[in-house]
Amino acid sequence: MVPGLEKILLKVQKPGRYVGGELNSVVKDKDGVDVRFAFCFPDIYEVGMSHLGMKILYSLLNRMEGVWCERVFAPWTDMEALMRERGIPLYALESGDPLSEFDIVGFTLQYELSYSNVLNMLELAGIPLLQSERRGLSQLVVAGGPCACNPEPLADFVDLFFIGEGEEVDCELVELYRAHKKKGSSREAFLREAARIPGVYVPSLYEVTYGGDGTIASIRPRDGAPEKVTKRLMLDMDRSFFPESFVVPYLEIVHDRAVAEVFRGCIRGCRFCQAGFLYRPLREKSVDVIDRQCRSLCETTGYDEISLSSLSTSDYSRLNPLLDQLLTWTPGEKTGISLPSLRVDNFSTEVMDKISSVRRSGLTFAPEAGTQRLRDVINKNVTEEELMKTVATAFSGGWSSVKLYFMIGLPTETMDDVAGIAALGQKVVDAFYANPEKKKGRGVSVTLSASGFVPKAFTPFQWEPQDTIEQLHEKQRHLVSSVTTRKITCNYHDADTSFMEAVFARGDRRLGPVLLKAHELGCKFDGWNDYFSLARWRQAFDACGVVPEFYANRRRSFDEILPWDHIDYGVTKDFFRRECEKAYAAATTPNCREKCSACGAACFQGGICHENR
Amino acid sequence: MKTVRVWFRKTGAARYISHLDLTHCMARALHRSRIPLWYTQGFNPRAHMVFALPLPLGMAGDRECVDIRIEEERITALEVKERLQRALPATLPVFDVTEPKMKPGKIAWASYRLLLEPEEGDARRLEEQLEALLGQEEIPVEKHTKSGMAHFDLKPYLGELSHRVEGDALLLELMLPAGSEKNISPYLLTEALESQRDARFCCRARRVNLYDLERNVFE
Repeated sequence: MVPGLEKILLKVQKPGRYVGGELNSVVKDKDGVDVRFAFCFPDIYEVGMSHLGMKILYSLLNRMEGVWCERVFAPWTDMEALMRERGIPLYALESGDPLSEFDIVGFTLQYELSYSNVLNMLELAGIPLLQSERRGLSQLVVAGGPCACNPEPLADFVDLFFIGEGEEVDCELVELYRAHKKKGSSREAFLREAARIPGVYVPSLYEVTYGGDGTIASIRPRDGAPEKVTKRLMLDMDRSFFPESFVVPYLEIVHDRAVAEVFRGCIRGCRFCQAGFLYRPLREKSVDVIDRQCRSLCETTGYDEISLSSLSTSDYSRLNPLLDQLLTWTPGEKTGISLPSLRVDNFSTEVMDKISSVRRSGLTFAPEAGTQRLRDVINKNVTEEELMKTVATAFSGGWSSVKLYFMIGLPTETMDDVAGIAALGQKVVDAFYANPEKKKGRGVSVTLSASGFVPKAFTPFQWEPQDTIEQLHEKQRHLVSSVTTRKITCNYHDADTSFMEAVFARGDRRLGPVLLKAHELGCKFDGWNDYFSLARWRQAFDACGVVPEFYANRRRSFDEILPWDHIDYGVTKDFFRRECEKAYAAATTPNCREKCSACGAACFQGGICHENR
Repeated sequence: MKTVRVWFRKTGAARYISHLDLTHCMARALHRSRIPLWYTQGFNPRAHMVFALPLPLGMAGDRECVDIRIEEERITALEVKERLQRALPATLPVFDVTEPKMKPGKIAWASYRLLLEPEEGDARRLEEQLEALLGQEEIPVEKHTKSGMAHFDLKPYLGELSHRVEGDALLLELMLPAGSEKNISPYLLTEALESQRDARFCCRARRVNLYDLERNVFE
């Protein structure tokens, strides 16, 4: 165990976060290891341990001979204070060794508000924060995950980014590192070589210049780095690596269950949704493979719940056959099946009966906008009629609580659209009472949850201004005052955090010094409402002379050079522009199964783009 | 269907699992072990699982037990032990599976070993602080109960306490009332030593054994 750790563990909340030793965690003999990889999740244990990508890459890297991948999470603030006080550096859970002794320190970037934790974790590890201040080959700081699609705000701190899916490129990079470590290469020589691996972006090999209006004038690669870094992806999901077992935590974590990945990508093309574009094209797994993976996971972990995960699981083309196959063994094992993402337009009684055969949880749908016009703008191809049909089905099936997710601040939104959210909630309440089979004395509970829209890179809304905090507040108030029944509960997200998320989602390299300053001022756990402080962030922006509104609230022109223009996810800028213009006209685009809209993802030569031809 | 008592130790990192998390951990291990369990017949079927006496967070346990219900005709006690052992992390070793002889409600006493490593001064000094505490007229402590904070004198409960310096640490062995009727945590003593005698130390606590009212070992 880490020296001094035992003395502080009983002074902190949930010490189980910090001790490791969980079932299926991987401990290797250091003598047989030549590359040590610290997989860091910049949030607390319970959040990070719920993340599927980490489970996949952890198992995959540990399958490599001579490579040992360990887990690291951000210590909660009580633990951090004690670690600082006692001089205990950030350590990896498997070995207890300090992060500073690792060859590669990798961060997964799941949301923008975790960036301050990336810096804080590096500091706790005693690793120099700035990429330019790290010497030698070890302590190589790498990052991947969805937020790496606009890596620029972290360019000062990260040596290289993985663009796209990590299964292949991570291993290639580790092999290259191993070869260079053996040769005793310099960091610079290694990075120049690494930049030649497809899907690896080395920010220090690109020079960015700015024009008089503050927008980017040019992005130029040097030393043989590619003009554009194109994402990597797994084309054959049936043959793509999937772990046979998960590390099973002692503590209860956020998603404490076996997770099967049903497909990657999404056919829908909702215009606000970054994941829907980043993971194109849709690539499904076959029923047999999913079934086998579920059995293996349940056997090795002991979980009695399987979550069928994807961006939109009810879009899986073989959902009913899959459920039938799983149901041949799950009831005997007392194992439940849950579908985390249901769509309003293909929810069926058949599916509902199958998932509720063992256990039943609440129902959640995401109409995203309150009026048909606005749902057309965002290309959420869901009608009110479909929603009403779905909730009626659910109510007659015995459900009495429904949660609906919306966004406020969407492009072209008016106050009528906001009031439409409350009106839709009311119609759902009415549908409950219109149900003739309604049991006497049972009430209905409808939750309307409204988050502030954050325009993201690689979406048709990447040029859009975000509503100001004041506008979002006004819309929140309008929503609450439009609700007239106590059967509806209204939740909304904090507008301040949505604003900061928008700044970093479309920020450029000039946010590096701001991030550093914010870290010095104590910003961390920004995704946690009790920790986030807009005032502290504003102080950091002021100190660096950077105006955050320039990033969050400015409308970009279609021909502006965007900070992520040298990163390529297959979907073309031209397609995004066409989609944006169609949004203004409230015109919808068919999904990938109905008709190909030539987004550009067909360049990868696989998935749904090619099945349909 | 029959009830068996699974005996295990809580060691190493497992000390830092709360009782609630231990129940989840055990439920998953039982599921993984494929022991033919008897399930409750309710809406959410659950395996029957009763822990004799929860252990406080941070404390190791030498003789912990949980009662489970199995379909007896399909499995032997030895098989239960071996399968469950394979399914549990190494920090929760199973050492026996027996027929329950006493009901958990019969537990009245527990024995503990506390190893106090001084953070200031040496073990001898810590022992003096302990002796000073024990020499007080009374040792007022408070504990959370269902009906709020209860204030009472710990001193009458410390009749069976021995202590000696071992190497750099102070070793305490004591017997305290335990169970559903009256439960006195040894942490009340270490907290009093910190707050009333200003001692600074790191405590490693272990519950050694459980007994009924007549001091028969709980079986």
